[in-house]
Amino acid sequence: MYGYAGRVLRVDLTRGIITREPTPEAVVRDYLGARGMGAYLLWTEVPKRTDPLGPGNKLFLSTGPLSGTLFPGAGKMDFTTKSPLTGGYAGASMGGMLAAELKYAGYDAVILEGISPRPVYLYIDDERVELRPADAYWGQGSLTLEKRLKDELGEDFQIATIGPAGEKLVKYACISHDFGRQAGRGGVGTVMGAKKLKAIAVRGSGGIPIADTAEFVRLAREAYRACKEAEGLEAWTRYGTMMVTSWCNENAALPTRNFQSGTFEQGASIYASVHRKTIVVTDKACFGCPSPCGKYSHSKKHNIYVEGPEYETNGMLGSDLGLGDIEDIAKANQLCDELGLDSISTGGTIAWAMECYEKGILNREQSGGLDLRFGNAEAVFDLIDRVAHRDGWLGNLLAEGVKRAASAVGQDSEKWAVHVKGMEQSAYDTHSATSMLLAYMTADVGAHHNRAWAITYDLAVGRDRVTPEKAAKVIELQHIRPLMDTLGCCRLQWVELGMPLSCYAPALQALTGVQRSWEDLLHISERIWNLTRMVWVREVEGFGRAWDSPATRFVREPAVGGVTDGKLTPPLAAQQMLDYYYEQRGWDANGIPTSETLQRLGLSDLVGDRSAWR
Amino acid sequence: MAVTLVATGGLREYTGGLQELEVAAGPTVKEMLGTLGIRPELVAAVMRNRELVSKDYRPEDGETVVLVAVLGGG
Amino acid sequence: MRLYADSAKCSGCRACLLACSLHLFGENNPKKAALAIVPHFPAPGTFEVKVCTQCGRCAEVCPVDAIHQNEKGAYYIEPDECTLCMACVEECPEGVVFTRPDVGYAWQCDLCGNCVEVCGPGVLWIAEREA
Repeated sequence: MYGYAGRVLRVDLTRGIITREPTPEAVVRDYLGARGMGAYLLWTEVPKRTDPLGPGNKLFLSTGPLSGTLFPGAGKMDFTTKSPLTGGYAGASMGGMLAAELKYAGYDAVILEGISPRPVYLYIDDERVELRPADAYWGQGSLTLEKRLKDELGEDFQIATIGPAGEKLVKYACISHDFGRQAGRGGVGTVMGAKKLKAIAVRGSGGIPIADTAEFVRLAREAYRACKEAEGLEAWTRYGTMMVTSWCNENAALPTRNFQSGTFEQGASIYASVHRKTIVVTDKACFGCPSPCGKYSHSKKHNIYVEGPEYETNGMLGSDLGLGDIEDIAKANQLCDELGLDSISTGGTIAWAMECYEKGILNREQSGGLDLRFGNAEAVFDLIDRVAHRDGWLGNLLAEGVKRAASAVGQDSEKWAVHVKGMEQSAYDTHSATSMLLAYMTADVGAHHNRAWAITYDLAVGRDRVTPEKAAKVIELQHIRPLMDTLGCCRLQWVELGMPLSCYAPALQALTGVQRSWEDLLHISERIWNLTRMVWVREVEGFGRAWDSPATRFVREPAVGGVTDGKLTPPLAAQQMLDYYYEQRGWDANGIPTSETLQRLGLSDLVGDRSAWR
Repeated sequence: MAVTLVATGGLREYTGGLQELEVAAGPTVKEMLGTLGIRPELVAAVMRNRELVSKDYRPEDGETVVLVAVLGGG
Repeated sequence: MRLYADSAKCSGCRACLLACSLHLFGENNPKKAALAIVPHFPAPGTFEVKVCTQCGRCAEVCPVDAIHQNEKGAYYIEPDECTLCMACVEECPEGVVFTRPDVGYAWQCDLCGNCVEVCGPGVLWIAEREA
């Protein structure tokens, strides 16, 4: 199969048995790879209502056809599992170098099943695949271990690790790679830790077969040229995602003190220009990317190196915690990277705890002596460490995520637990941005922005407006953006540089030899979207509309200060957005895909009688 | 003497399709946007000499200021 | 003429390696390129780019005179003449003469310029050799 390595590695961690299977052609035909393959495998291989931390859950690593090929941003892969954080679908996209290296080693995907009796790491060197003891590495931080494994095995190995947070089964533990990239959200690192898999080390010497090499190279060179000539390239390369901090702050989208506001009075001290001037060392790229967004940094204040902060981390570990010093945010970022924590969920959970503390619901004894007022950087550093190790009552509580923590503490604290489906919301305040609110309500992993970044659309057409067109825009983005995650490339060349969408289908065709139009690709993406929806329907008792509810804060409590001062989205407006969304999606009033929709998307056979999953 | 404004992407709708236009020095960038009818929220960032500046920046005679259009995010 | 690299601008993306292997071998395989990216992480957090400087020492040491210059003045190893003795590989001060078990000859940069084309930050360029 052109564009693919041709084999899938299956690793039975319980029995220590490794097998190789051919990459299933029918799955490639209908789901392409990466996110699509992960969703398909999750549906077919993980039994209904499996314990996410038990031996029946699996962790799927899957690359896409473009992964590792000469194409802008072709360095992505997906990690898919049943989420221990939310109980539903988790799909985390990761950049860096691992996706390419896996394909060069000869594997399109790796299926991790069972639970190892002892800590191990997976060693892949082309044909040589072994589970090696990892007792000596257990307890080590991710960045430290990556360096150590590269020293021991060779610099040319690509390494992915979990940190102590994954080992301790913190519910939002991440998987780290390439000194600054993560498969961040939904607890993919937690599942890896539950399986006692500490690391994956990959080296590959092979190539990727191309159907029409001359045409693929011609199209690739055009695509790189388009990127290099893009108007936005210089600003994007200099500042990366941090560039959006000032715009968000001006437009009350920058989460401040647990999303009480969208405007941070110290915002200017954490803008991209300050970041670049103060600590940035190298513009670091993922595989094949001409527009390096990674801002590898050195903080002299804290004597640490970190890739970041990204905008999300700047918001969630910065303004959302009341921290206005870029070096403190970099330090908090580095702690999360080393300990193996999703920086977004970590920030969202700590912000909730800080609000509890300021409201007198958590006292100094419960906080383990920490003064948890917003803005206390030292307390943040301490608390991150405690969460990662489940150390102390509060560390252990927050390790469960904000939804469980608020439920345990009660006293109305659920009102300021900012999450959807149990996933902490990422860094866009949605008191007054109805498309973005809908995007968070309906993202298939929980409150994550990367499925549909719609906030600029809100600002362009009127942030409070409640229209079917807004729902249509969210749906459109939910098809395009995750399609990139399915192809195995980054979406930011399109999003930030305006690389034309018309580049993708011809390049994929030249690579694979299979004729597919852009519409064909969008159809596959819609299929995958409905499949991940059905995962929720199957896994969660009583799943339906209530699970698409927005975080309470945005519909009950007005924003404070800034241009959205006093504003919120009325609950009925949020529900109206959902009504428009369900109707356009072909889902029933409870948000379940109808039989007709499943049939149209070719999912009927796979999903079976949908009422069986209710 | 004047300030050269460079309009990227969709912002060229507000400059009659021109990528570059000259405006008199004096006002802040935000005020210049107002004159052109460009809502500030459509401008993601402002660059001068490859550095980000705020919309309150007052460009000097002979300077070139790039208005980076809002596109996407992360 | 020779290839130049400003390592300070390198982002480590490896697109250059792919463009190179596709040109030299018609294969999408960065391990079959004629330049090298050396990462230095976690500290100082930079990338080093190794390119052929066209110094000619490989040609000097080749015991069978298999290394000639093409129309661009770039040194190249004639595949049929190479005996894989490795003298050039060891002699190269930049470490950019390459061999692999599955290739019957050593190879090096032929100044095609495709790497320059796909480099986003503009690390690479081709210009006259400085004396």
